[in-house]
Amino acid sequence: MVRTSRPGVPGEWVLLSYRIPREPSTPRITIWRKLKRLGVAQISDGLIALPADARTREHLDWIADEILDAGGSASIWIAHPGTTATERDLATAMATARAAEYTKVTAEATAAAGRDETARLSLARRLRAELRRIHRRDYFPPAERDQATAAVDALAQPIPDPEEQPS
Amino acid sequence: MKWATRANIHIDRAACAWLIRRHIDADAEFVFIADPAEVPADATPFDMRGVELGHHQGDCSFETILRHYQLDDPVLWRIAQIIHEADLDDERYDAPEAPGLDVVLRGLSMICTDEKTLAITGPIFDGLYEFHRHATLLGREPA
Repeated sequence: MVRTSRPGVPGEWVLLSYRIPREPSTPRITIWRKLKRLGVAQISDGLIALPADARTREHLDWIADEILDAGGSASIWIAHPGTTATERDLATAMATARAAEYTKVTAEATAAAGRDETARLSLARRLRAELRRIHRRDYFPPAERDQATAAVDALAQPIPDPEEQPS
Repeated sequence: MKWATRANIHIDRAACAWLIRRHIDADAEFVFIADPAEVPADATPFDMRGVELGHHQGDCSFETILRHYQLDDPVLWRIAQIIHEADLDDERYDAPEAPGLDVVLRGLSMICTDEKTLAITGPIFDGLYEFHRHATLLGREPA
């Protein structure tokens, strides 16, 4: 995904500045879960950011409305980080968060390598769904992404029966 | 009647336009606008922030329109689940068609004007409706 129009020039980000009443806690938690699911970067308390595109902008727009409905305040901003270093720090934090999620998937897949085929296939299905979820919030893919995909693909491969191996 | 929504339409707006034309207003005329302030005075806005026919209580605009116009056709509600998952992807429903439909719409929006996207997706939603109408009647997936 191309985020910067020119190398060395920070790209466009969509920012959500918000406040939600502490009580009732249900809408607060629902909104927090939605933001987490979108993989937002937390700039400071009540200020989150995503690289701007049609999808991220639309998701944050609707979440802003939901915050207003919950009696909070919310505004959407389109912004460029002032320096490439600021943008790099945001992108690195987001990539690190995704890398940790991919590493968890890789570990789960690797740990199940010795199990029987039914168990492996069923785990592969669950982990593929999990990978799709992570992909949707992966804006700066880390190297761990390919490793996780390979580990899950390997789970779905049939293990050759040792007795059928030519001697 | 005139209906207004945000330009560069994706799944929810395309499906809402189909729903409006098929089940609410056969002569519907759609205008696509860049800014909410541009909604013509004689148009009903949908799938935009702060309007009645938008996202509410975790529902997408397609579901909101079904509720608002009291459309209780179970086939439309099944399609609503697909649109909800394609648009919001929050796993509220089991709709395996959703990711595929979402990709098709996102691809179309890259090569088509909004008018053309509506023209192409009309028969797609008609077909989806027919498929799920048969499925509802049969109690299983049609061939």
